[in-house]
Amino acid sequence: MSDELKRDVTQTSADTVDRKVLSKHDLHHAAVRWCFMACNAFNYETQEAPGLTWSLAPALRKIYPKDDDYEKAIANHLNYFNTTTAMANVVMGATMAMEEKEGAKSIGAVQSLKTSLMGPLAGIGDTLIWVLWPTIMGSISGYMAVKGNPLGAIIWFLCNLAFFFVKIKLTDVGYFSGTKLITSLGDRISVFTESASIMGLTVVGALIASVVKVQTAINFQFGAVKMPLQSGILDKIMPSLLPVLLTVIVYKLIGSKKWTMNRIIILLIVLSMVCSFFGILK
Amino acid sequence: MMGTIQALLIILLVAWMIIDQNGLVIVSYFPVIVGFITGLIMGDITTAMIIAGTFQLMQLGVANLGGSSMPNYGLATIIGAYLAIRTGTGIKTGIAVGLPVGMLAIQLDVLVKIINNFIAHRMAKLNAEHKWRAMLRQPWYGVAFFGLEGAIPAALLVFFGPSAVQAILTWLPKWFTNGLTIAGGLLPVIGVGMLLHYMPTKKFATFLIIGFVLTAYLNLPILAIALIGFACAYYYFNGTMRQANEKKASANSSLAADRQGDNYDE
Repeated sequence: MSDELKRDVTQTSADTVDRKVLSKHDLHHAAVRWCFMACNAFNYETQEAPGLTWSLAPALRKIYPKDDDYEKAIANHLNYFNTTTAMANVVMGATMAMEEKEGAKSIGAVQSLKTSLMGPLAGIGDTLIWVLWPTIMGSISGYMAVKGNPLGAIIWFLCNLAFFFVKIKLTDVGYFSGTKLITSLGDRISVFTESASIMGLTVVGALIASVVKVQTAINFQFGAVKMPLQSGILDKIMPSLLPVLLTVIVYKLIGSKKWTMNRIIILLIVLSMVCSFFGILK
Repeated sequence: MMGTIQALLIILLVAWMIIDQNGLVIVSYFPVIVGFITGLIMGDITTAMIIAGTFQLMQLGVANLGGSSMPNYGLATIIGAYLAIRTGTGIKTGIAVGLPVGMLAIQLDVLVKIINNFIAHRMAKLNAEHKWRAMLRQPWYGVAFFGLEGAIPAALLVFFGPSAVQAILTWLPKWFTNGLTIAGGLLPVIGVGMLLHYMPTKKFATFLIIGFVLTAYLNLPILAIALIGFACAYYYFNGTMRQANEKKASANSSLAADRQGDNYDE
């Protein structure tokens, strides 16, 4: 066992010296896979993770010829991930570079990097790609369209087509900055991982308050005075009190051996239905 | 015959629109673009564009962010334009029927994203069993479900008419559709909980709390929070590196001191 471990370590450290297993084609292959799949396997729990894993899988297989390493890498990417799809191209480029150079050693750093980047990249990406751009194109082509003119629509369509190639290019950008990051970090990677997880956890803290949505619909009636539990009491104690409580409970459940993931999901769905029926949550 | 082909093309267009919206974003749910294609299929671009333009202007400013569900104006456009051109009932009816179909798709959207939870877990299970070929098949079910999310309401309308869609919407109990929405709000907590398990949460809980307070109390945008997180990370990185260097330096100097001591003793 310990011998095997030692051999592993020596092998990976020997591999670290300028390992290059991904060709440009591999990068672009992963990028095209992502451009198609992206949110098409979207689920409420890990969001874009299944799509990202599916897109990266062929590249990861090349990076990790050993089954156990490959399994670890896939399990790592199956964790929660969500950002603007175009911005995810940058992230996946960077993580491919890191995993290519450092192998299984980089898995912790990859997770931290993904978690800390997805929030800010979504902040920029959502604003530019989902708000600004469709608002500009939509108002121009919309006003043309109500007069029966399809020209704006055609131009918009062609722009989207061009943007597809920009997205592929974004993967290259991510890959080169990822490579640069790894070579400049060298053996400081473990400190980097910890620092990245500080940034990541700050973002996760924000996620609890913004992504998890629980609100009660209960109203208290004291004679003529009506008092909504949510805005009248809970928000006064602490905003997002219920999401925090739910996070703590689910965190404990995930840690407990008795609860499988599927059970927790079913519990939450049943809870939603029951609370909806009795008007407890809204 | 022509009518059947057109109807099938419309259903395919709707299915493709949802899949495209989730990934490629070339046609996407932008009403004018799908409206234009509907116009091409139905052979009346002008009518299609007028309905598309109306929905496009309605959609402005209503972006689909962070997995939230909003009325599907793209679907409403396709259905509205199809109906207006097919039956010649005019633009008003097209808009009036298009929206309920879009609403039905939204209910299905929540359902699909819940079903996909199980796909994600199947992938994790198959990964642990080293059955990767089967694992990589799983996301395709997601693609199929999303396609059906659009194709089912579209087919209902194309084959059974507007009243069928309305009947389903009124038949669905309110607590059920509400429950789906609530579940959509609750379920991300599992993803967050898994992240917390995966990261060194206990060691750095400080920053988790900082991020939470900045959002919950101050409503700062995510970029601001990430910058603060980055500042903390940068500080920690430099601090730890300095400490490591100092330790190395002091270890060297104490080694040197030891050697000197040895010399002195002799």
